[in-house]
Amino acid sequence: MIKDITIGQFFPGDSVIHRMDPRMKLILTIVYIVIIFLCKNFWALGFMLLSLVIMCALSGVPAKVILKSIKPIAIIITFTAILNIFYVRTGEPLLDWHFIHITTGGVFTAIFMIIRICALVVASSLLTYTTSPTQITDGIERLFSPLKFMRGGVHTLAMMMTIALRFIPTLIDEFEKITNAQKARGADLETGNLVERAKALIPVLVPLFITSFRRAYELAFAMECRCYHGAEGRTRMKIMKYSKLDVFGFLFILIATGGVIALNMFFRHVV
Amino acid sequence: MSILKTDNLTYKYSVGTPFEVTALDSVNLEVEKGELVAVIGHTGSGKSTLIQHFNGLLKPTEGSVLVDGQDIWESKKTLRDARFKVGLCFQYPEYQLFEETVFADIAFGPKNMKLSDEEIKERVMRAAEFTGVTKEMLEKSPFDLSGGEKRRVAIAGVMAMEPEILILDEPTSGLDPKGRDTILRLIRDYRDNTGSTVMIVSHSMEDVAKIATKVLVMNRATVMSYDTVPETYRHAEELLSVGLDVPQITKIFMDLKRRGLPVRDDVYTVEQAVAEIDRLRKEGVNV
Ligand SMILES: Nc1ncnc2c1ncn2[C@@H]1O[C@H](COP(=O)(O)OP(=O)(O)OP(=O)(O)O)[C@@H](O)[C@H]1O
Ligand SMILES: [Mg+2]
Repeated sequence: MIKDITIGQFFPGDSVIHRMDPRMKLILTIVYIVIIFLCKNFWALGFMLLSLVIMCALSGVPAKVILKSIKPIAIIITFTAILNIFYVRTGEPLLDWHFIHITTGGVFTAIFMIIRICALVVASSLLTYTTSPTQITDGIERLFSPLKFMRGGVHTLAMMMTIALRFIPTLIDEFEKITNAQKARGADLETGNLVERAKALIPVLVPLFITSFRRAYELAFAMECRCYHGAEGRTRMKIMKYSKLDVFGFLFILIATGGVIALNMFFRHVV
Repeated sequence: MSILKTDNLTYKYSVGTPFEVTALDSVNLEVEKGELVAVIGHTGSGKSTLIQHFNGLLKPTEGSVLVDGQDIWESKKTLRDARFKVGLCFQYPEYQLFEETVFADIAFGPKNMKLSDEEIKERVMRAAEFTGVTKEMLEKSPFDLSGGEKRRVAIAGVMAMEPEILILDEPTSGLDPKGRDTILRLIRDYRDNTGSTVMIVSHSMEDVAKIATKVLVMNRATVMSYDTVPETYRHAEELLSVGLDVPQITKIFMDLKRRGLPVRDDVYTVEQAVAEIDRLRKEGVNV
């Protein structure tokens, strides 16, 4: 099943972004995130947002799916925004009521932070939406390969990551299956207070752990049977190559960086 | 009135993503009380998806499911009722065991039904006896049992809830022939003794032919047929054409018929075959 070889995040496709080299995508995502934090005013931020929208459009991932990635961090965003509104004391005062003081500076900072965090999350989701987990870990392994001499080695770490990522969907599947089996026996996982709910999870977690251990043993055994012995002398099935697309991607981010620096210089800083 | 009914039941997995699959496509089905229904169909035909609708684990994308004439999605209460009226035992149920002792694990279902301690104990004992779980086993940890024993404990866990409809998803997969026969016999006895409706999903036609009263054939998310065993095997060729197997003996009789012998076309057990050949001999046909 397709679900088994991809993590829930990955959104298969054949767009220019999908076809870029994972190493380049990793680097550019990091660069992009750094630039978001370099933005000092709304013009620069708007410019970055525009380039993000262009990249999303190029990726062919539906807007709905992309926006969904923001949902899990909605609480963090709200929290950050509220803190900023109440604690930043710059600019004109807007409201002075007992202990509550709201200023324009606070409101601007809050909006700025919201946009920043959203852009950050969307940019990193774009990476995982367009790059399969295997590609990502392979990319990381290659990027860090100069550190080979380290004890344990980059390869071991990357392999651990690949396996962990590979088994997330399997675990989710397993979790659902066991949950369903216990629900069929009348387990009530939805009602009750926190303690009751945590207790109700025991019938699900115990079998899940047992299955995971069994699976780990089986996997280790299967890998040994296929003569796996770490990185030494291991060749790759898919060889990574930079292409013209990666050059374009690089230029795109370069222009974005230049734009942000210029806009930062020309307009007044907000934060 | 039928005990279980589906009305234009449609179910789609992962709606709105590139992985969207229609696992059930307007299924209409009516199961009478006391039937022992075998559900067969090729891999991915939607068998497991279908049975998970009967106790409300999956919510229909369209259409409805009625247990005892009651739409199970009408309210929270009807849903909870359906959970206890319809006992569902998943494939490889041994992986759902979690308690410290076998007794406690079998008691998990009845406990959730908020029965009295005596009633729980009684039910556990009954279910254990039924499934051949011995007294010593009840005190053990479920993780110290053999695969076949674990399977029986898990089935006992569902039986102890004494559901009106008992549904088992491939209860015999991964067992040796003896273990398989034990489980099948136990399921049939359960139905004969309690008069409950039983539904089993199976890949083995031979098994199905032995115990079922009705056969539900699934093919590509739809119901291909729902009929008695002889009627189903009368259409053996259609079953073969959708990638299903039929009992060896049915294949032999299909072949005999093709060679021009006047044999019945709904033979599916060896006993029937023997009787049929005897009949032909008596009629003077050279067999
Ligand atoms: N959790 C799921 N998410 C997405 N698709 C699923 C899921 N479960 C099943 N499917 C898909 O739904 C279809 C029907 O699956 P189902 O498990 O009902 O088949 P089945 O008849 O029980 O098969 P088997 O004989 O292999 O158990 C298949 O195409 C399957 O890939
Ligand atoms: Mg199945």
